[in-house]
Amino acid sequence: MIEVNDVTKRYGETLAVDHLSFAVKPGIVTGFLGPNGAGKTTTMRMILGLDNPSSGTVTVNGRCYRDIGAPMHQIGALLDAKAANGGHTARQHLGWIARAGGIPAGRVDEVLELVGLADVAGRRLGGFSLGMYQRLGIAAALLGDPETLIFDEPVNGLDPEGIRWIRNFLQCLASEGRTILLSSHLMSEMEATADHVIVIGRGRLIANTSIAAVTQQSASNHVRVVSPRSADLVPLLERAGATVNAEDGALIVTGIEAPAIGKVAAGHGLELHELSPRRASLEAAFMELTQGSQQYQGVLSSSAA
Amino acid sequence: MTTATISSNSKIATRAATRRTGFIDILASEWSKLATLRATQLTLGLGFLLSVATTAIACIALGTTQDDWSPDFSPVTTSMIGVAFGVIVFTVFGVMAVSREYASGTIRLTLTATPARGRVFLAKFALVGTMLLVAGLASTISMFYAGQALLGAYGMPTASLADPDAARMVLGLGVAMPFFPLIGFAFGVLFRSTAGGITTALGLHWLPQIFGQLVSESFQENVLSLLPSNGMDTMTSGHIQHSPAFPDPMVGAVVAATWFAVIVGAAYLAFVRRDA
Ligand SMILES: Nc1ncnc2c1ncn2[C@@H]1O[C@H](COP(=O)(O)OP(=O)(O)O)[C@@H](O)[C@H]1O
Ligand SMILES: [Mg+2]
Repeated sequence: MIEVNDVTKRYGETLAVDHLSFAVKPGIVTGFLGPNGAGKTTTMRMILGLDNPSSGTVTVNGRCYRDIGAPMHQIGALLDAKAANGGHTARQHLGWIARAGGIPAGRVDEVLELVGLADVAGRRLGGFSLGMYQRLGIAAALLGDPETLIFDEPVNGLDPEGIRWIRNFLQCLASEGRTILLSSHLMSEMEATADHVIVIGRGRLIANTSIAAVTQQSASNHVRVVSPRSADLVPLLERAGATVNAEDGALIVTGIEAPAIGKVAAGHGLELHELSPRRASLEAAFMELTQGSQQYQGVLSSSAA
Repeated sequence: MTTATISSNSKIATRAATRRTGFIDILASEWSKLATLRATQLTLGLGFLLSVATTAIACIALGTTQDDWSPDFSPVTTSMIGVAFGVIVFTVFGVMAVSREYASGTIRLTLTATPARGRVFLAKFALVGTMLLVAGLASTISMFYAGQALLGAYGMPTASLADPDAARMVLGLGVAMPFFPLIGFAFGVLFRSTAGGITTALGLHWLPQIFGQLVSESFQENVLSLLPSNGMDTMTSGHIQHSPAFPDPMVGAVVAATWFAVIVGAAYLAFVRRDA
Protein backbone atom coordinates (compact mmCIF):
# COMPACT_ATOMS: atom_id res chain seq x y z
CA MET A 1 0.00 0.00 0.00
CA ILE A 2 1.27 3.43 -0.97
CA GLU A 3 0.32 6.36 1.22
CA VAL A 4 0.92 9.99 0.37
CA ASN A 5 0.28 12.20 3.39
CA ASP A 6 -0.06 15.94 2.95
CA VAL A 7 2.93 16.13 0.64
CA THR A 8 4.25 19.35 -0.82
CA LYS A 9 7.18 19.54 -3.21
CA ARG A 10 8.83 22.73 -4.38
CA TYR A 11 11.59 23.06 -6.93
CA GLY A 12 12.78 26.56 -6.23
CA GLU A 13 9.88 28.78 -7.25
CA THR A 14 7.88 25.95 -8.82
CA LEU A 15 5.24 24.34 -6.65
CA ALA A 16 5.12 20.87 -8.20
CA VAL A 17 2.97 19.12 -5.58
CA ASP A 18 0.70 21.00 -3.20
CA HIS A 19 -0.58 19.37 0.01
CA LEU A 20 -1.42 16.14 -1.77
CA SER A 21 -2.86 13.18 0.15
CA PHE A 22 -4.09 9.85 -1.15
CA ALA A 23 -3.69 6.13 -0.60
CA VAL A 24 -3.32 3.59 -3.39
CA LYS A 25 -5.60 0.69 -2.55
CA PRO A 26 -4.16 -2.80 -2.77
CA GLY A 27 -5.18 -5.29 -5.43
CA ILE A 28 -6.63 -2.87 -7.97
CA VAL A 29 -5.47 -0.64 -10.79
CA THR A 30 -5.48 3.00 -9.81
CA GLY A 31 -5.25 5.57 -12.55
CA PHE A 32 -3.19 8.65 -11.73
CA LEU A 33 -4.52 11.34 -13.93
CA GLY A 34 -3.56 14.92 -14.61
CA PRO A 35 -2.40 17.19 -17.42
CA ASN A 36 1.27 17.56 -18.23
CA GLY A 37 3.01 19.36 -15.39
CA ALA A 38 0.36 18.37 -12.82
CA GLY A 39 2.95 16.67 -10.62
CA LYS A 40 2.44 12.98 -11.43
CA THR A 41 6.08 12.16 -12.11
CA THR A 42 7.21 14.21 -9.12
CA THR A 43 4.81 12.29 -6.87
CA MET A 44 6.08 8.97 -8.21
CA ARG A 45 9.69 10.04 -7.67
CA MET A 46 8.82 10.83 -4.06
CA ILE A 47 7.15 7.43 -3.64
CA LEU A 48 10.45 5.86 -4.76
CA GLY A 49 12.55 7.98 -2.42
CA LEU A 50 14.28 9.66 -5.34
CA ASP A 51 13.07 13.16 -4.50
CA ASN A 52 12.51 14.37 -0.96
CA PRO A 53 9.16 15.99 -0.17
CA SER A 54 9.47 19.60 0.99
CA SER A 55 6.92 18.62 3.62
CA GLY A 56 4.70 15.64 4.34
CA THR A 57 5.50 11.93 4.13
CA VAL A 58 5.25 9.16 1.59
CA THR A 59 5.28 5.52 2.64
CA VAL A 60 5.26 2.16 0.89
CA ASN A 61 3.81 -0.63 3.02
CA GLY A 62 4.12 1.66 6.01
CA ARG A 63 7.77 2.57 5.54
CA CYS A 64 9.74 5.25 3.78
CA TYR A 65 11.15 3.79 0.58
CA ARG A 66 14.70 4.56 1.67
CA ASP A 67 14.26 2.44 4.79
CA ILE A 68 13.19 -0.69 2.92
CA GLY A 69 15.98 -3.27 2.89
CA ALA A 70 15.16 -4.95 -0.42
CA PRO A 71 12.60 -2.64 -2.04
CA MET A 72 12.51 -4.34 -5.45
CA HIS A 73 10.62 -7.23 -3.87
CA GLN A 74 7.89 -4.90 -2.66
CA ILE A 75 7.51 -2.35 -5.39
CA GLY A 76 8.59 -2.19 -9.01
CA ALA A 77 8.62 0.99 -11.05
CA LEU A 78 8.88 2.19 -14.59
CA LEU A 79 9.46 5.94 -14.68
CA ASP A 80 11.68 6.65 -17.66
CA ALA A 81 12.00 3.69 -20.00
CA LYS A 82 14.95 5.22 -21.83
CA ALA A 83 17.07 5.37 -18.69
CA ALA A 84 19.74 2.88 -19.75
CA ASN A 85 23.26 2.69 -21.13
CA GLY A 86 23.02 2.26 -24.89
CA GLY A 87 26.22 0.19 -24.78
CA HIS A 88 24.71 -2.50 -22.57
CA THR A 89 22.81 -5.47 -23.88
CA ALA A 90 19.32 -6.08 -22.51
CA ARG A 91 20.69 -8.90 -20.36
CA GLN A 92 23.59 -6.81 -19.03
CA HIS A 93 21.21 -3.96 -18.23
CA LEU A 94 18.81 -6.11 -16.23
CA GLY A 95 21.79 -7.97 -14.79
CA TRP A 96 23.23 -5.02 -12.92
CA ILE A 97 19.82 -3.94 -11.69
CA ALA A 98 19.07 -7.45 -10.42
CA ARG A 99 22.45 -7.61 -8.68
CA ALA A 100 21.81 -4.28 -6.96
CA GLY A 101 18.44 -5.53 -5.77
CA GLY A 102 19.84 -8.81 -4.44
CA ILE A 103 17.89 -10.79 -7.03
CA PRO A 104 19.21 -14.09 -8.42
CA ALA A 105 20.70 -13.77 -11.93
CA GLY A 106 18.35 -16.47 -13.25
CA ARG A 107 15.42 -14.11 -12.88
CA VAL A 108 16.81 -11.87 -15.66
CA ASP A 109 16.11 -14.36 -18.43
CA GLU A 110 12.75 -15.12 -16.85
CA VAL A 111 11.55 -11.51 -17.09
CA LEU A 112 13.03 -11.08 -20.57
CA GLU A 113 10.93 -14.04 -21.60
CA LEU A 114 7.84 -12.55 -19.97
CA VAL A 115 8.02 -9.29 -21.87
CA GLY A 116 8.94 -10.97 -25.14
CA LEU A 117 12.53 -9.74 -25.33
CA ALA A 118 14.25 -13.13 -24.98
CA ASP A 119 15.29 -13.06 -28.63
CA VAL A 120 17.09 -9.76 -28.30
CA ALA A 121 18.58 -10.39 -24.85
CA GLY A 122 22.10 -10.15 -26.25
CA ARG A 123 21.51 -7.05 -28.36
CA ARG A 124 22.78 -3.60 -27.45
CA LEU A 125 20.11 -1.22 -26.21
CA GLY A 126 21.35 1.51 -28.53
CA GLY A 127 19.36 -0.08 -31.34
CA PHE A 128 16.14 -0.57 -29.35
CA SER A 129 12.88 1.13 -30.33
CA LEU A 130 10.80 3.00 -27.75
CA GLY A 131 8.42 0.06 -27.55
CA MET A 132 11.31 -2.28 -26.76
CA TYR A 133 12.58 0.12 -24.10
CA GLN A 134 9.12 0.12 -22.52
CA ARG A 135 9.11 -3.66 -22.38
CA LEU A 136 12.60 -3.61 -20.92
CA GLY A 137 11.46 -1.12 -18.28
CA ILE A 138 8.54 -3.36 -17.37
CA ALA A 139 10.92 -6.31 -17.18
CA ALA A 140 13.11 -4.35 -14.75
CA ALA A 141 10.07 -3.49 -12.61
CA LEU A 142 9.14 -7.18 -12.45
CA LEU A 143 12.60 -8.43 -11.44
CA GLY A 144 11.72 -8.64 -7.76
CA ASP A 145 8.23 -10.02 -8.53
CA PRO A 146 6.74 -7.18 -6.46
CA GLU A 147 3.17 -6.92 -5.25
CA THR A 148 2.98 -3.25 -6.16
CA LEU A 149 3.87 -1.69 -9.49
CA ILE A 150 3.99 1.91 -10.59
CA PHE A 151 4.14 2.97 -14.22
CA ASP A 152 4.58 6.54 -15.37
CA GLU A 153 2.81 7.12 -18.68
CA PRO A 154 3.86 3.76 -20.09
CA VAL A 155 2.10 4.18 -23.42
CA ASN A 156 3.35 7.68 -24.15
CA GLY A 157 4.78 7.89 -27.65
CA LEU A 158 4.08 4.26 -28.54
CA ASP A 159 2.55 3.08 -31.79
CA PRO A 160 -0.89 1.38 -31.64
CA GLU A 161 0.70 -2.06 -31.58
CA GLY A 162 2.92 -1.10 -28.63
CA ILE A 163 -0.02 0.47 -26.82
CA ARG A 164 -2.10 -2.67 -27.26
CA TRP A 165 0.72 -4.83 -25.94
CA ILE A 166 1.22 -2.68 -22.83
CA ARG A 167 -2.52 -2.58 -22.12
CA ASN A 168 -2.84 -6.34 -22.36
CA PHE A 169 0.21 -6.86 -20.22
CA LEU A 170 -1.08 -4.47 -17.55
CA GLN A 171 -4.44 -6.21 -17.53
CA CYS A 172 -2.61 -9.48 -17.10
CA LEU A 173 -0.67 -8.08 -14.13
CA ALA A 174 -3.86 -6.65 -12.67
CA SER A 175 -5.65 -9.98 -12.97
CA GLU A 176 -3.01 -11.48 -10.70
CA GLY A 177 -4.24 -9.14 -8.00
CA ARG A 178 -1.28 -6.81 -8.05
CA THR A 179 -1.55 -3.22 -6.93
CA ILE A 180 -0.92 -0.94 -9.87
CA LEU A 181 -0.56 2.82 -9.99
CA LEU A 182 -0.69 3.94 -13.59
CA SER A 183 -0.28 7.56 -14.59
CA SER A 184 -1.58 9.24 -17.69
CA HIS A 185 -2.49 12.65 -18.96
CA LEU A 186 -5.26 11.10 -21.07
CA MET A 187 -8.59 10.35 -19.45
CA SER A 188 -9.42 7.91 -22.21
CA GLU A 189 -6.49 5.74 -21.11
CA MET A 190 -8.21 5.06 -17.82
CA GLU A 191 -11.60 3.91 -19.03
CA ALA A 192 -10.35 0.51 -20.14
CA THR A 193 -7.70 -0.15 -17.50
CA ALA A 194 -8.36 1.47 -14.15
CA ASP A 195 -10.79 0.59 -11.36
CA HIS A 196 -10.12 3.74 -9.45
CA VAL A 197 -8.79 7.16 -10.37
CA ILE A 198 -6.87 9.83 -8.57
CA VAL A 199 -6.99 13.09 -10.46
CA ILE A 200 -4.56 15.91 -9.76
CA GLY A 201 -4.08 19.33 -11.27
CA ARG A 202 -1.31 21.81 -10.44
CA GLY A 203 -0.12 19.48 -7.73
CA ARG A 204 -3.47 19.33 -5.94
CA LEU A 205 -5.96 16.53 -5.51
CA ILE A 206 -9.07 17.05 -7.63
CA ALA A 207 -10.81 13.69 -7.36
CA ASN A 208 -10.17 10.31 -5.77
CA THR A 209 -12.95 7.92 -6.69
CA SER A 210 -13.84 4.62 -8.30
CA ILE A 211 -14.53 4.63 -12.02
CA ALA A 212 -17.86 2.89 -11.51
CA ALA A 213 -19.04 5.52 -9.03
CA VAL A 214 -18.16 8.33 -11.38
CA THR A 215 -20.03 7.00 -14.36
CA GLN A 216 -22.99 5.63 -12.38
CA GLN A 217 -23.67 8.88 -10.60
CA SER A 218 -23.31 11.01 -13.64
CA ALA A 219 -26.28 13.22 -14.50
CA SER A 220 -25.53 12.59 -18.13
CA ASN A 221 -26.60 8.96 -17.75
CA HIS A 222 -29.91 8.67 -19.56
CA VAL A 223 -32.22 6.31 -21.36
CA ARG A 224 -33.05 6.81 -24.99
CA VAL A 225 -36.65 5.95 -25.78
CA VAL A 226 -38.35 5.83 -29.18
CA SER A 227 -42.07 5.27 -29.29
CA PRO A 228 -44.80 6.04 -31.86
CA ARG A 229 -46.92 7.06 -28.84
CA SER A 230 -44.42 9.48 -27.24
CA ALA A 231 -47.06 12.14 -26.71
CA ASP A 232 -48.92 9.73 -24.41
CA LEU A 233 -45.78 8.36 -22.82
CA VAL A 234 -44.18 11.65 -21.72
CA PRO A 235 -46.76 12.64 -19.04
CA LEU A 236 -46.75 9.08 -17.68
CA LEU A 237 -42.96 9.08 -17.33
CA GLU A 238 -42.98 12.51 -15.75
CA ARG A 239 -45.52 11.30 -13.23
CA ALA A 240 -43.11 8.42 -12.44
CA GLY A 241 -40.41 10.97 -11.57
CA ALA A 242 -38.50 11.28 -14.83
CA THR A 243 -37.26 14.30 -16.68
CA VAL A 244 -37.91 14.00 -20.37
CA ASN A 245 -36.44 15.89 -23.29
CA ALA A 246 -37.16 15.33 -26.94
CA GLU A 247 -34.26 14.90 -29.30
CA ASP A 248 -34.76 14.25 -33.03
CA GLY A 249 -37.59 11.78 -32.78
CA ALA A 250 -36.36 10.17 -29.54
CA LEU A 251 -37.01 10.88 -25.87
CA ILE A 252 -34.03 11.44 -23.61
CA VAL A 253 -35.14 10.24 -20.19
CA THR A 254 -33.23 10.89 -16.99
CA GLY A 255 -34.17 10.25 -13.39
CA ILE A 256 -35.53 6.71 -13.81
CA GLU A 257 -33.93 3.56 -15.14
CA ALA A 258 -34.83 1.56 -18.25
CA PRO A 259 -36.81 -1.24 -16.50
CA ALA A 260 -39.09 1.32 -14.85
CA ILE A 261 -39.71 2.99 -18.22
CA GLY A 262 -40.53 -0.38 -19.81
CA LYS A 263 -42.96 -1.13 -17.01
CA VAL A 264 -44.77 2.19 -17.41
CA ALA A 265 -45.06 1.65 -21.16
CA ALA A 266 -46.24 -1.95 -20.83
CA GLY A 267 -48.74 -1.01 -18.09
CA HIS A 268 -50.43 1.40 -20.52
CA GLY A 269 -50.09 -0.75 -23.60
CA LEU A 270 -47.73 1.72 -25.29
CA GLU A 271 -45.51 0.35 -28.03
CA LEU A 272 -41.71 0.97 -27.74
CA HIS A 273 -39.25 0.84 -30.65
CA GLU A 274 -36.16 1.59 -28.66
CA LEU A 275 -35.25 1.53 -24.97
CA SER A 276 -31.52 1.97 -24.51
CA PRO A 277 -29.64 3.05 -21.39
CA ARG A 278 -26.69 5.34 -22.15
CA ARG A 279 -23.80 5.64 -19.72
CA ALA A 280 -21.90 8.88 -19.65
CA SER A 281 -18.35 8.57 -20.95
CA LEU A 282 -15.74 8.78 -18.25
CA GLU A 283 -14.67 12.04 -19.72
CA ALA A 284 -18.14 13.58 -19.57
CA ALA A 285 -18.71 12.22 -16.09
CA PHE A 286 -15.54 13.80 -14.82
CA MET A 287 -16.41 17.06 -16.44
CA GLU A 288 -19.51 17.19 -14.22
CA LEU A 289 -17.78 15.92 -11.15
CA THR A 290 -15.17 18.60 -11.24
CA GLN A 291 -17.19 21.41 -12.72
CA GLY A 292 -15.83 24.74 -11.70
CA SER A 293 -12.46 23.34 -10.74
CA GLN A 294 -10.03 25.55 -12.56
CA GLN A 295 -7.29 22.94 -12.61
CA TYR A 296 -9.55 20.34 -14.00
CA GLN A 297 -10.28 22.37 -17.09
CA GLY A 298 -6.62 21.88 -17.84
CA VAL A 299 -7.07 18.13 -17.66
CA LEU A 300 -9.79 18.29 -20.23
CA SER A 301 -8.10 20.60 -22.65
CA SER A 302 -4.91 18.60 -22.57
CA SER A 303 -6.68 15.30 -22.98
CA ALA A 304 -8.54 16.71 -25.95
CA ALA A 305 -5.27 17.79 -27.54
CA MET B 1 0.16 -15.22 -22.32
CA THR B 2 -1.07 -16.91 -19.20
CA THR B 3 -1.26 -14.96 -16.02
CA ALA B 4 0.72 -17.53 -14.09
CA THR B 5 3.85 -16.84 -16.10
CA ILE B 6 4.38 -13.38 -14.70
CA SER B 7 5.07 -14.45 -11.17
CA SER B 8 8.43 -16.01 -10.88
CA ASN B 9 8.75 -19.48 -9.54
CA SER B 10 7.58 -18.91 -5.98
CA LYS B 11 10.68 -20.57 -4.57
CA ILE B 12 12.86 -17.93 -6.15
CA ALA B 13 10.59 -15.20 -4.93
CA THR B 14 10.59 -16.29 -1.31
CA ARG B 15 14.28 -17.01 -1.14
CA ALA B 16 15.13 -13.68 -2.71
CA ALA B 17 12.65 -11.77 -0.62
CA THR B 18 14.43 -12.68 2.59
CA ARG B 19 17.69 -11.29 1.32
CA ARG B 20 18.52 -7.73 2.20
CA THR B 21 20.66 -5.87 -0.29
CA GLY B 22 24.17 -5.48 1.10
CA PHE B 23 27.35 -3.59 0.28
CA ILE B 24 28.73 -6.53 -1.71
CA ASP B 25 25.60 -6.58 -3.88
CA ILE B 26 26.02 -2.90 -4.63
CA LEU B 27 29.72 -3.31 -5.38
CA ALA B 28 29.05 -6.28 -7.66
CA SER B 29 26.27 -4.38 -9.40
CA GLU B 30 28.44 -1.32 -9.94
CA TRP B 31 31.23 -3.53 -11.27
CA SER B 32 28.98 -5.32 -13.74
CA LYS B 33 27.52 -1.98 -14.83
CA LEU B 34 30.85 -0.22 -15.32
CA ALA B 35 33.15 -2.98 -16.51
CA THR B 36 30.84 -4.17 -19.30
CA LEU B 37 30.80 -0.76 -20.98
CA ARG B 38 33.08 -0.39 -23.95
CA ALA B 39 33.67 3.23 -22.91
CA THR B 40 35.26 1.99 -19.67
CA GLN B 41 37.57 -0.42 -21.43
CA LEU B 42 38.47 2.24 -23.98
CA THR B 43 39.24 5.08 -21.58
CA LEU B 44 41.27 2.98 -19.18
CA GLY B 45 43.13 1.35 -22.08
CA LEU B 46 43.69 4.70 -23.75
CA GLY B 47 45.03 6.24 -20.53
CA PHE B 48 47.50 3.40 -20.20
CA LEU B 49 48.61 3.46 -23.84
CA LEU B 50 48.88 7.23 -23.99
CA SER B 51 51.07 7.31 -20.86
CA VAL B 52 53.44 4.65 -22.12
CA ALA B 53 53.50 6.01 -25.68
CA THR B 54 54.30 9.53 -24.46
CA THR B 55 57.16 8.25 -22.36
CA ALA B 56 58.44 6.16 -25.26
CA ILE B 57 58.32 9.08 -27.69
CA ALA B 58 60.04 11.37 -25.19
CA CYS B 59 62.82 8.85 -24.57
CA ILE B 60 63.33 8.23 -28.29
CA ALA B 61 63.38 11.96 -28.97
CA LEU B 62 65.93 12.50 -26.24
CA GLY B 63 68.03 9.53 -27.33
CA THR B 64 68.26 10.66 -30.94
CA THR B 65 68.95 14.35 -30.26
CA GLN B 66 71.09 14.59 -27.12
CA ASP B 67 74.74 13.64 -26.95
CA ASP B 68 75.98 14.74 -23.58
CA TRP B 69 74.14 14.46 -20.31
CA SER B 70 74.02 17.02 -17.61
CA PRO B 71 74.58 15.50 -14.18
CA ASP B 72 71.00 16.24 -13.07
CA PHE B 73 69.44 14.21 -15.89
CA SER B 74 67.05 11.83 -14.18
CA PRO B 75 66.10 8.68 -16.08
CA VAL B 76 63.27 8.12 -13.55
CA THR B 77 61.63 11.52 -14.02
CA THR B 78 62.08 11.25 -17.78
CA SER B 79 60.29 7.92 -17.90
CA MET B 80 57.37 9.40 -15.92
CA ILE B 81 56.62 12.10 -18.51
CA GLY B 82 53.60 10.14 -19.69
CA VAL B 83 51.83 10.54 -16.32
CA ALA B 84 50.72 14.03 -17.32
CA PHE B 85 48.75 12.62 -20.25
CA GLY B 86 47.51 9.49 -18.54
CA VAL B 87 46.00 11.49 -15.71
CA ILE B 88 43.87 13.52 -18.14
CA VAL B 89 42.32 10.42 -19.65
CA PHE B 90 41.89 8.76 -16.26
CA THR B 91 40.17 11.91 -14.99
CA VAL B 92 37.75 11.68 -17.89
CA PHE B 93 37.07 8.11 -16.77
CA GLY B 94 36.55 9.15 -13.14
CA VAL B 95 34.08 11.90 -14.06
CA MET B 96 32.18 9.80 -16.58
CA ALA B 97 31.85 6.83 -14.26
CA VAL B 98 29.20 8.88 -12.49
CA SER B 99 28.17 11.71 -14.84
CA ARG B 100 27.08 9.09 -17.37
CA GLU B 101 24.52 7.88 -14.83
CA TYR B 102 22.98 11.33 -14.62
CA ALA B 103 23.06 11.84 -18.37
CA SER B 104 21.41 8.50 -19.11
CA GLY B 105 19.05 8.56 -16.11
CA THR B 106 20.31 5.22 -14.80
CA ILE B 107 21.06 6.88 -11.46
CA ARG B 108 17.33 6.63 -10.74
CA LEU B 109 17.40 2.89 -11.44
CA THR B 110 20.45 2.50 -9.22
CA LEU B 111 18.84 4.34 -6.33
CA THR B 112 15.50 2.60 -6.79
CA ALA B 113 17.22 -0.78 -6.55
CA THR B 114 19.33 0.27 -3.56
CA PRO B 115 18.05 3.36 -1.80
CA ALA B 116 20.85 3.23 0.83
CA ARG B 117 22.62 6.15 -0.80
CA GLY B 118 25.64 6.37 1.48
CA ARG B 119 26.53 2.80 0.65
CA VAL B 120 25.95 3.34 -3.06
CA PHE B 121 28.35 6.30 -3.01
CA LEU B 122 31.00 4.37 -1.10
CA ALA B 123 30.69 1.37 -3.41
CA LYS B 124 31.04 3.53 -6.51
CA PHE B 125 33.94 5.43 -5.00
CA ALA B 126 35.76 2.28 -3.89
CA LEU B 127 35.24 0.60 -7.24
CA VAL B 128 36.31 3.56 -9.38
CA GLY B 129 39.26 4.16 -7.06
CA THR B 130 40.41 0.54 -7.26
CA MET B 131 40.11 0.43 -11.03
CA LEU B 132 42.12 3.65 -11.26
CA LEU B 133 44.72 2.39 -8.83
CA VAL B 134 45.30 -0.74 -10.90
CA ALA B 135 45.39 1.29 -14.12
CA GLY B 136 47.67 3.88 -12.52
CA LEU B 137 50.23 1.40 -11.17
CA ALA B 138 50.18 -0.58 -14.42
CA SER B 139 50.84 2.67 -16.29
CA THR B 140 53.71 4.00 -14.17
CA ILE B 141 55.47 0.64 -13.91
CA SER B 142 55.13 0.08 -17.67
CA MET B 143 56.33 3.63 -18.35
CA PHE B 144 59.30 3.06 -16.13
CA TYR B 145 60.40 -0.17 -17.81
CA ALA B 146 59.69 1.09 -21.33
CA GLY B 147 61.57 4.30 -20.54
CA GLN B 148 64.61 2.55 -19.08
CA ALA B 149 64.75 0.09 -21.99
CA LEU B 150 64.69 2.89 -24.56
CA LEU B 151 67.12 5.13 -22.68
CA GLY B 152 69.46 2.13 -22.30
CA ALA B 153 69.24 1.40 -26.00
CA TYR B 154 70.52 4.93 -26.72
CA GLY B 155 73.32 4.47 -24.21
CA MET B 156 71.83 6.90 -21.72
CA PRO B 157 71.87 6.52 -17.95
CA THR B 158 69.12 4.27 -16.59
CA ALA B 159 67.66 3.51 -13.18
CA SER B 160 66.39 0.45 -11.34
CA LEU B 161 63.27 0.03 -9.22
CA ALA B 162 65.55 -1.40 -6.54
CA ASP B 163 66.68 2.20 -5.99
CA PRO B 164 64.37 3.52 -3.25
CA ASP B 165 64.21 7.01 -4.80
CA ALA B 166 63.09 5.51 -8.09
CA ALA B 167 60.58 3.21 -6.38
CA ARG B 168 59.15 6.10 -4.38
CA MET B 169 58.52 8.03 -7.55
CA VAL B 170 57.25 5.22 -9.75
CA LEU B 171 55.00 3.54 -7.20
CA GLY B 172 54.10 6.87 -5.61
CA LEU B 173 52.92 8.27 -8.93
CA GLY B 174 51.01 5.06 -9.61
CA VAL B 175 49.26 5.14 -6.25
CA ALA B 176 48.67 8.87 -6.63
CA MET B 177 47.19 8.46 -10.09
CA PRO B 178 43.58 8.06 -8.82
CA PHE B 179 43.85 11.34 -6.86
CA PHE B 180 42.64 13.75 -9.56
CA PRO B 181 40.40 11.23 -11.29
CA LEU B 182 38.61 10.67 -7.96
CA ILE B 183 38.32 14.42 -7.47
CA GLY B 184 36.84 14.32 -10.97
CA PHE B 185 34.41 11.64 -9.79
CA ALA B 186 33.40 13.90 -6.92
CA PHE B 187 32.90 16.87 -9.25
CA GLY B 188 30.89 14.57 -11.52
CA VAL B 189 28.55 13.93 -8.57
CA LEU B 190 28.39 17.61 -7.65
CA PHE B 191 27.83 18.95 -11.17
CA ARG B 192 26.10 15.89 -12.64
CA SER B 193 27.77 16.85 -15.87
CA THR B 194 30.68 15.39 -17.77
CA ALA B 195 31.95 18.72 -19.08
CA GLY B 196 31.64 20.47 -15.71
CA GLY B 197 33.38 17.66 -13.86
CA ILE B 198 36.28 17.35 -16.29
CA THR B 199 36.85 21.10 -16.57
CA THR B 200 36.87 21.66 -12.82
CA ALA B 201 39.03 18.67 -11.93
CA LEU B 202 41.60 19.35 -14.65
CA GLY B 203 41.50 23.08 -13.90
CA LEU B 204 42.42 22.34 -10.30
CA HIS B 205 45.14 20.02 -11.55
CA TRP B 206 46.67 22.32 -14.13
CA LEU B 207 46.31 25.63 -12.33
CA PRO B 208 49.81 25.60 -10.79
CA GLN B 209 51.34 24.27 -13.99
CA ILE B 210 49.73 27.06 -15.99
CA PHE B 211 50.51 29.94 -13.64
CA GLY B 212 53.32 28.47 -11.60
CA GLN B 213 56.19 29.95 -13.61
CA LEU B 214 54.54 33.33 -14.10
CA VAL B 215 54.26 34.42 -10.48
CA SER B 216 56.75 35.42 -7.81
CA GLU B 217 58.54 32.83 -5.67
CA SER B 218 56.79 33.99 -2.54
CA PHE B 219 53.44 33.54 -4.23
CA GLN B 220 54.50 30.05 -5.31
CA GLU B 221 55.62 29.23 -1.77
CA ASN B 222 52.64 30.64 0.07
CA VAL B 223 49.73 30.15 -2.29
CA LEU B 224 50.52 27.62 -4.98
CA SER B 225 52.01 25.19 -2.50
CA LEU B 226 48.53 24.95 -1.02
CA LEU B 227 47.05 23.66 -4.25
CA PRO B 228 46.41 19.93 -4.37
CA SER B 229 48.66 19.08 -7.31
CA ASN B 230 51.70 20.62 -5.65
CA GLY B 231 50.91 18.81 -2.43
CA MET B 232 50.76 15.57 -4.40
CA ASP B 233 53.90 16.27 -6.43
CA THR B 234 55.86 16.99 -3.27
CA MET B 235 55.23 13.48 -2.04
CA THR B 236 55.94 11.69 -5.29
CA SER B 237 58.72 13.72 -6.88
CA GLY B 238 59.79 16.41 -4.38
CA HIS B 239 62.84 14.33 -3.51
CA ILE B 240 64.06 14.42 -7.10
CA GLN B 241 62.75 17.71 -8.47
CA HIS B 242 62.76 20.88 -6.43
CA SER B 243 60.37 23.76 -6.70
CA PRO B 244 59.48 26.67 -4.45
CA ALA B 245 55.86 25.61 -4.81
CA PHE B 246 56.57 22.27 -3.13
CA PRO B 247 56.04 22.32 0.60
CA ASP B 248 57.56 19.86 3.01
CA PRO B 249 56.33 16.31 2.17
CA MET B 250 54.28 16.10 5.37
CA VAL B 251 52.69 19.46 4.67
CA GLY B 252 52.16 18.31 1.09
CA ALA B 253 50.33 15.24 2.33
CA VAL B 254 48.10 17.31 4.60
CA VAL B 255 47.37 19.80 1.81
CA ALA B 256 46.45 17.08 -0.66
CA ALA B 257 44.40 15.09 1.85
CA THR B 258 42.46 18.18 2.93
CA TRP B 259 41.47 19.06 -0.62
CA PHE B 260 40.52 15.48 -1.27
CA ALA B 261 38.47 15.10 1.90
CA VAL B 262 36.61 18.37 1.43
CA ILE B 263 35.67 17.75 -2.21
CA VAL B 264 34.80 14.07 -1.79
CA GLY B 265 32.95 14.83 1.46
CA ALA B 266 30.88 17.49 -0.30
CA ALA B 267 30.08 15.01 -3.07
CA TYR B 268 29.03 12.41 -0.50
CA LEU B 269 26.66 14.80 1.22
CA ALA B 270 25.22 15.98 -2.09
CA PHE B 271 24.72 12.41 -3.24
CA VAL B 272 22.94 11.40 -0.05
CA ARG B 273 20.76 14.48 0.32
CA ARG B 274 19.92 15.90 -3.06
CA ASP B 275 17.00 14.82 -5.23
CA ALA B 276 18.15 12.20 -7.71
N1 LIG C 1 13.68 18.51 -11.15
C1 LIG C 1 12.84 19.55 -11.34
N2 LIG C 1 13.27 20.81 -11.20
C2 LIG C 1 12.44 21.86 -11.36
N3 LIG C 1 11.15 21.74 -11.68
C3 LIG C 1 10.64 20.52 -11.83
C4 LIG C 1 11.45 19.35 -11.68
N4 LIG C 1 10.68 18.27 -11.88
C5 LIG C 1 9.45 18.72 -12.15
N5 LIG C 1 9.41 20.07 -12.12
C6 LIG C 1 8.22 20.91 -12.33
O1 LIG C 1 7.21 20.45 -11.48
C7 LIG C 1 5.95 20.45 -12.10
C8 LIG C 1 5.37 19.05 -12.12
O2 LIG C 1 6.10 18.26 -13.02
P1 LIG C 1 5.85 16.70 -13.23
O3 LIG C 1 5.79 16.03 -11.91
O4 LIG C 1 6.88 16.22 -14.19
O5 LIG C 1 4.41 16.69 -13.90
P2 LIG C 1 3.68 15.53 -14.72
O6 LIG C 1 4.47 14.27 -14.56
O7 LIG C 1 2.33 15.44 -14.13
O8 LIG C 1 3.65 15.98 -16.14
C9 LIG C 1 6.19 21.02 -13.50
O9 LIG C 1 5.92 22.39 -13.46
C10 LIG C 1 7.65 20.79 -13.73
O10 LIG C 1 8.17 21.74 -14.59
MG1 LIG D 1 5.33 13.12 -16.10
